[in-house]
Amino acid sequence: MQMEAKQGWLASRVPGLGCVCGLMKEGRAPGVCWIAALPALLGALLAVLLASGAVITVYYNPWHAYASLQGITREVRGGWLVLSYHQVGASLAFALLYLHLFRILLVRGYRAPAEFAWMLWVKLLALLLLTGWLGFVLNGGEGGYSSLFNTSNAATTLSGFPGAVAMWFLGGQPGGSTLARLLVFHVLLALCAVWVILMARAAARKARPMLQGRVVPFWPVYAAQYFAALSALALLFALLLGFAPHWGQGTQNAIPAAAMAVPSISYPWYLTPLAGLAGVFPSVTGHIWAVVAAVALLYALPWLDRSKGAPPGRVYKLLTWLLALDVLALGLFTACPIGPMLPELLTFWFFFHFLVLTPLVTMMEAA
Amino acid sequence: MMRRFFAPLLAAGLLAGAAAHAEDTLSPLKFQSEGAFGSIDLAAAQRGFAVYQGVCASCHGMGALHYRDLQALGFTAEQVAGIAASVKLADGSAATPDSHFKEPAPVNMGGATPPDLSSIVAQRPGGTRYIYNFLTGFGPAPAGITLLPGHNYNAAFPGGQVSMPDVLRDNAVTYADGTKATKAQEAADVAEFLTWASDPNLSARHAVGLRAVIFFAFLTIVAVLTKRRIWRQEG
Repeated sequence: MQMEAKQGWLASRVPGLGCVCGLMKEGRAPGVCWIAALPALLGALLAVLLASGAVITVYYNPWHAYASLQGITREVRGGWLVLSYHQVGASLAFALLYLHLFRILLVRGYRAPAEFAWMLWVKLLALLLLTGWLGFVLNGGEGGYSSLFNTSNAATTLSGFPGAVAMWFLGGQPGGSTLARLLVFHVLLALCAVWVILMARAAARKARPMLQGRVVPFWPVYAAQYFAALSALALLFALLLGFAPHWGQGTQNAIPAAAMAVPSISYPWYLTPLAGLAGVFPSVTGHIWAVVAAVALLYALPWLDRSKGAPPGRVYKLLTWLLALDVLALGLFTACPIGPMLPELLTFWFFFHFLVLTPLVTMMEAA
Repeated sequence: MMRRFFAPLLAAGLLAGAAAHAEDTLSPLKFQSEGAFGSIDLAAAQRGFAVYQGVCASCHGMGALHYRDLQALGFTAEQVAGIAASVKLADGSAATPDSHFKEPAPVNMGGATPPDLSSIVAQRPGGTRYIYNFLTGFGPAPAGITLLPGHNYNAAFPGGQVSMPDVLRDNAVTYADGTKATKAQEAADVAEFLTWASDPNLSARHAVGLRAVIFFAFLTIVAVLTKRRIWRQEG
């Protein structure tokens, strides 16, 4: 059977699979940068996370979280490797998602008709942040336990609908049964993330401008590019896996949880900017609302931008780079605090950027 | 399986002219487990186990380890059985190779409890070197520091005061391989042993990582060249 005939046969019986085959023949504009392959790489990392997570879940015991992870490292054949896949995969998934979001911000890819795709990317960020925090808690280490303890304490002070949701999610005071519950959510949210990334990619494809002029096929032109990008990612993965598996994780969560508060929680690097931003606000309830506000602002970006289709100007680009530095600095100075007012200033800049500068600068540049 | 992982590392080590056992690793201080190509110095870790068993084990447990795990350090099954048989558990019976390391009787050092040492290197910033600096960091308190009751001065410990006394001294143990058991040697050896205990897969991880990095480096070069060639033809 010819390739075409095979695809036609498949497409008429399994429309979804036929669709995937169709993507291989899909025409594209020539000369697209490799960085457009980031969502595909992110998808590959999610697959690694799901596969390694499935193995870990089999051996994980929420009632003896720390001990069961020690058991996976020490007793399960190859367990340490699978655990490292999960750790390194999470680290890299966050790195790629942050990079992807930054790129969309820089080229203003969040505007119509791509605003729906942007909102899905922000949803993916929210999902991954929550899943990542749950993973941090599920380790059964000192830092994770303290974070859970603070969060569930704050949740008991919430009332009405938010309180009911928090109660349902956390189930009361932290303990084995809480971790068993959070394990379910960790897995469920990870599966949701896969669904959201598929949706986001479909939405982004729909929002692409109409092809004009010369068109090149996905196979083999972009397939070769994606493969090269995937191979480079695998190289980075292997470097981290072999030589820095705990990079950016700190030593605090390696200590088994005890029912004692730690003076300051050290989060994995991908949660530190948000933890720093939240820590500026008083009380744990304040922290929770600050996190919600920060993600909601990103979500509202298509409406905060008043440029009406004008190309990004110099000032906007400069400000976007400043925002990236601001977030990096927020993470850095939360992990190693040096001055008293620094996190406050950096957090102020984050909100100032979205609430004041973005509408102002985009309006001025469009005029 | 393990030999397959260790063999290339061993070859790399020989090529680089790295230390064989009898060499002086104390001046300057260096640990074979350190660095990207580090692997556990099995001879040092065996000596370190002797220090742990002879000195540390009276207060510190290592609950995550079994006696059978010591085979990874190069002890034979018979030697491990002998080590286990010499340990008397709390109920009076002798330990077997499948027993966890014996939990010592609870000690109260003025409110502080000796931590479990199974993962201590992973749990302390500075890891292996911190353990060495801590064990050799005891001394008289400098002028201006008033010690709390029951505390000892230690330059490496955060805050400088610790409940644990200075326990290592010259010839605290007798090494089977004839190495001179100075205090610094004992500290370095037990630091290497605890590094292995915290990360028993350290050597295998570095070996796997090195192979994977070499493979993917070549694959990336080939993939990028292929991509360029296809783009030149199509573009």
